[in-house]
Amino acid sequence: MKGITKKFNLRQRTIAKIILAILFLIAIIVSGLLIGNDKLSIQLDLKNSAPSLAHLFGTDWLGRDMLARTLKGLTISLGVGLLAAILSSLIALAFSLLASWNKTMDAMITWLIDMFLSVPHLVLLILISFAVGGGFTGVVIGLSLTHWPSLTRLLRGEVLQIKSAEYVGISRRLGKSRWWIARHHLIPHLLPQLFVGMVLLFPHAILHEAAITFLGFGLSTEQPAIGIILSESMRYLSTGMWWLAFFPGLSLLIMVGIFDILGKNIRKLIDPFHGQKG
Amino acid sequence: MKKNLLFITVTLLFSILLLSACSSTDETGQQDNQQVKDELILAIGGEPEDGFDPTTGWGRYGSPLFQSTLLKYDKDFNIKNDLATDYNVSEDGKTWTVEIREDVKFSDGEALTADDVVFTFETAKTSGSVIDLSNLEKVESSDDHTVQFTLIEPASTFIYLLVSTGIVPEHAYDDAYNENPIGSGPFTLVQWDKGQQIIVEENPYYYGEKPSFTKLTFLFLAEDAAFAAAKAGEVDVVSVPPTFAKEEVSGMELIKLDTVDNRGVMFPYVPAGEVTDNGAPIGNDVTADIAIRKAINVGVDRQAFVDGVVEGFGTPAYSVADNMPWWNADTVIEDNDVEKAKQILDEAGWKENEDGIREKDGLTAEFTLLYPAGDQIRQSLSILFADMMKPLGIDVSTEGKSWNELETLMFSNPVMMGWGSHDPIEMYNLYSSETRVIGYYNANYYANDVVDEYMNQALHATTEEEANSYWQKAQWDGETGFSAQGDAPWAWLVNIQHLYFVNEDLEIGKQKLQPHGHGWPVTDFIEQWHWKE
Repeated sequence: MKGITKKFNLRQRTIAKIILAILFLIAIIVSGLLIGNDKLSIQLDLKNSAPSLAHLFGTDWLGRDMLARTLKGLTISLGVGLLAAILSSLIALAFSLLASWNKTMDAMITWLIDMFLSVPHLVLLILISFAVGGGFTGVVIGLSLTHWPSLTRLLRGEVLQIKSAEYVGISRRLGKSRWWIARHHLIPHLLPQLFVGMVLLFPHAILHEAAITFLGFGLSTEQPAIGIILSESMRYLSTGMWWLAFFPGLSLLIMVGIFDILGKNIRKLIDPFHGQKG
Repeated sequence: MKKNLLFITVTLLFSILLLSACSSTDETGQQDNQQVKDELILAIGGEPEDGFDPTTGWGRYGSPLFQSTLLKYDKDFNIKNDLATDYNVSEDGKTWTVEIREDVKFSDGEALTADDVVFTFETAKTSGSVIDLSNLEKVESSDDHTVQFTLIEPASTFIYLLVSTGIVPEHAYDDAYNENPIGSGPFTLVQWDKGQQIIVEENPYYYGEKPSFTKLTFLFLAEDAAFAAAKAGEVDVVSVPPTFAKEEVSGMELIKLDTVDNRGVMFPYVPAGEVTDNGAPIGNDVTADIAIRKAINVGVDRQAFVDGVVEGFGTPAYSVADNMPWWNADTVIEDNDVEKAKQILDEAGWKENEDGIREKDGLTAEFTLLYPAGDQIRQSLSILFADMMKPLGIDVSTEGKSWNELETLMFSNPVMMGWGSHDPIEMYNLYSSETRVIGYYNANYYANDVVDEYMNQALHATTEEEANSYWQKAQWDGETGFSAQGDAPWAWLVNIQHLYFVNEDLEIGKQKLQPHGHGWPVTDFIEQWHWKE
């Protein structure tokens, strides 16, 4: 093992990890999309069966294959996470650029960030997703409106730093507009941070989606989201059907872990200040 | 990384310790109750949100426990006297005279008189609750122990209001009565810790058979907590969902009670087009076709619902009132006949397209079956129903909704509903053209003149036998009716047995057919519960 790690340098190892993580995620998505509704069909004679070779994750109380349901659920979670993370990052980018406008705007944005961070995520999330009507859109809107503050704070600091750079001052004195400066000087510098931030938002978004769905405020019960599967399985735990909760929960954990690895390694690769730390 | 791992392990250990600490305190709280043999601990759910006021609906499903009623059912649904000693109905069916017992006292020692009965019915009439007394013109006491009810229209079903309405004391009735229910029933309320438990004690003034137990504690526990309590031997009677019923619990035996607690699919009966006063759309073009409804009724395998969803703890349902005295046994049809169902659809012009879904005049045979989200049994029934419709060529998708949403969607979408009452007025409410779009009643928008006429005759009948014969004709008279033989506005699927784990030393005796959820119907004959010798 040591030999292999020594043979490749840090950069190669990082890239290998990224590729592996991406392959894993693609595998989840593809298998989730390939599983048709016939795989989820009801087979009453097979209900409540423990994990076996035919059904690796066991079956539920209607005889549906838990492996298929879990993969479907992960795909849905992934979709929710992707949408929410992208929207959140866009909000963060917009706010950090706004903060560079002037002092008052900056104070306002900072105040907004503090306010959102002072309320527990989950409470706000439930509130928002319930207010906009729940379901898929409710969850996505709720997630994107609650996950932007920490990333915004990061980007705002970056923007402040770039703003004081000499070449930005020269551009300004040459009469370039704010928008021109934002496009040509700020955004290109922010992109790596933004991208890494987005990938690292994923696990948060997915876990929170599962959490509020589990609590019954999230996705509707039709979608075999992991949160739904977990909350359904709760009533069967006391009868000893552990596999209903164990495998879906574990899969969720693994997926979140992969995203975390992906994000950290991408940061290593494109953010030189972090490169030598890990 | 290492630090993280350590942190996680320590947190886990702590939480396990905390959890186990919690459960052990619970146990010590229960143990001292175990030794005393004239007490029972029950975990049968059913905490009433509105408290224990019969004038707003408490006790309609099963026994009011704290109050007593004028008349009551025996175990075979024959009507017997309770507070009443005699009753008679005038020739025109409009005047009901009830004589009541003279020896009855409320649990506070005051005597129960005809004025209390008058007060009860007048309060209930104006309470605006689920109790429908709009047909009651007036109620008067002619002496201390005689009450006279005058009806606007003759109604045979009025007797069921006398069976289900507990009598409240005029002198002790105020706004807080629902939390302090003084009555003439076998037990009296001592303490109500909302969301947790109520404690009741024997009513020393009770006029009926003396119960064997002096104190009952009703715990309000979640399903799995109740089951865990049963396993730990902390409760004497516990209601369980079908998923738990196959487990062995030492010291307890499983009691299965047959019910009319039914579930079925409500089909919109008219084509789309109209809207309700609130703007909710009415009607569904697919389910408005009788061939679709008939084919579904013939094609579904009701036994599969019983075996697959409720683990065998139920019976196939063919009507809203299976096995009740007003039930027509002809409503039982041959089901699980996919070939016949296909034939019905073929003859009606529904042809399969290349996807295996049927079409007729450009209309695809598809609909969304709604169910209240969070009700796991109805969800499973719906999913299985959708699955069963595939071979028929009907494309059904399922969707869980909150009751709030269902209230606007149920007129235009099939819904997995549940009913089952000890009062035939329920049939009237579900199938009469008069009750269309009133609350959850007749959301189908069903109307059939012949059925209406039979049901009116049933209401105007002066004896129960006569009334029941008309109720039966309304279901199926050989040509038409509201059952699956006739217009089939519903596909009834299962009656779900009520399941209880009962201390194996406790004898609760035979129970009558249990109604749809809510309340504590199982305590109906609690005076007769006793320890086995």
